[in-house]
Amino acid sequence: MSLNSSSIPQADVASRPPLLRLDAIGKTFGTHVVLEDIDLSLAAGEVVAIIGPSGSGKSTLLRCINQLEPPTTGRVTIGDTTIEAGHTPTRRELMALRRNIGMVFQSFNLFPHLTVLRNVSLAQERVMGRTREQADAVSMQLLARVGLADKAQQFPSRCSGGQQQRIAIARALALDPQIMLFDEPTSALDPELGLEVLAVMRELAEGGMTMIVVTHEMRFAENVSDRVIIMADGRIVEQGPSGTVMRNPQTERAQRFLHAVKDR
Amino acid sequence: MNDLVDFWLEHLPAMLDGLLVSVQVTGVSLAIGVPLGLMLALAVQSRSKPMRGIAIVVVEVGRGAPALILLQFTYFGLPNAGLSLDSFASAVIALAWCTGAYTSEIIRAGLEAVPHGQKEAAEAIGLNHLDALRYVILPQALRVSVPALLGFSILMLQASSLCFAIALPELVSQAYLIGSTTFRYMPILVLAGLLYAAICIPATIAVSALERKLGAHA
Ligand SMILES: Nc1ncnc2c1ncn2[C@@H]1O[C@H](COP(=O)(O)OP(=O)(O)OP(=O)(O)O)[C@@H](O)[C@H]1O
Ligand SMILES: [Mg+2]
Repeated sequence: MSLNSSSIPQADVASRPPLLRLDAIGKTFGTHVVLEDIDLSLAAGEVVAIIGPSGSGKSTLLRCINQLEPPTTGRVTIGDTTIEAGHTPTRRELMALRRNIGMVFQSFNLFPHLTVLRNVSLAQERVMGRTREQADAVSMQLLARVGLADKAQQFPSRCSGGQQQRIAIARALALDPQIMLFDEPTSALDPELGLEVLAVMRELAEGGMTMIVVTHEMRFAENVSDRVIIMADGRIVEQGPSGTVMRNPQTERAQRFLHAVKDR
Repeated sequence: MNDLVDFWLEHLPAMLDGLLVSVQVTGVSLAIGVPLGLMLALAVQSRSKPMRGIAIVVVEVGRGAPALILLQFTYFGLPNAGLSLDSFASAVIALAWCTGAYTSEIIRAGLEAVPHGQKEAAEAIGLNHLDALRYVILPQALRVSVPALLGFSILMLQASSLCFAIALPELVSQAYLIGSTTFRYMPILVLAGLLYAAICIPATIAVSALERKLGAHA
């Protein structure tokens, strides 16, 4: 496996206008503060890895971005859609946001009653208004891209975990999103099956997809992402170019976390 | 013995007419009641408080009141409120209400059996609430509910015998009628029981077979 970082040089990335911006995102469940004052801005083509201890709020942050969990405070901006905490977004805003953001879950969450092809086609028909023929044609291309065209007519339960996660990636790509969110996409998989998923993700990254990847895969964070964010206790404790953060963390909290991970 | 068979054969056409009415009133009640149950199941989970309130009252009365009381209420009670219905229409209203109330609980259990991640995945790919329900949640929920719904339908066919209380000419009414003219209640009621069994026993076996099949694919 080659260790070169993603194809987009850091300086180039930083000079572009942000594709996604989070301003002061906070999330509280009851009295439990899960996220506090998260600012984040992502340029087109940038790949960001988020790492951090369990319970630090990584999943919640991703879910706040696409409003599966409405943030308690702050603002999410993508393109010309801004969703402000406290105001229930309109259907149109929510749709604009979700069309632009693909999400991949730890537990795949494929629709078990639909064939692999229908899984990938459904949103194209219902959200983008494509005909079934158009949608299925696009889906076949996407399935070919993740190496699973031959599974199109199967049901998800007949596929391995790694295959299911690749199908889930195809399903998320079907709306042609500008950003892909991954929440520990390989954590539910045997290491070998995880590799085939990581390979697809690496290809996506090299193809210029903008991605936020919550992961426990330290090699992926270091080698594929442009930037690494370390979270602890609902805050960003350190961020920077992946090589620097992973090899030479500055804050004590980040050092402690990376030590703990690397010591196993 | 021959005498009994002759008696049965003589009255079989009238009894089959009665059975047909039983099946019709059950079928129409289910055709109205099961969609009602679906709507009630969704309304009970609704975010709107008045909607939830109404749904809960409809469900609790439908489950709390004996079917016989509902039947007598729609047949004898509604005319007092200026709404006179024939016995078939009254029976359908009462049995559909009862069906809606019970099946709403069956369907609600089915909805709750669908993992939360399914709803999230549907939302994440941009489906609106209705599409998520229609294409993702309901197909999975109903698959879970189908055996219980069919089981309930069989019970409902048996419960339709209560309609004899409002003079609907269904199977038990027919049996009583024949009994009262021939004074041979026992044999004609046995025939009525056999006719119910002829439908319900095979149906029950088919439902358990279906249940095993669905279970095996879950
Ligand atoms: N719906 C919820 N209601 C209440 N508390 C929640 C909810 N979702 C998350 N939390 C809490 O928020 C905190 C952060 O959870 P989150 O899942 O975002 O962490 P994480 O960093 O993704 O952890 P992990 O690495 O284990 O996936 C946890 O303490 C969790 O218990
Ligand atoms: Mg998580």
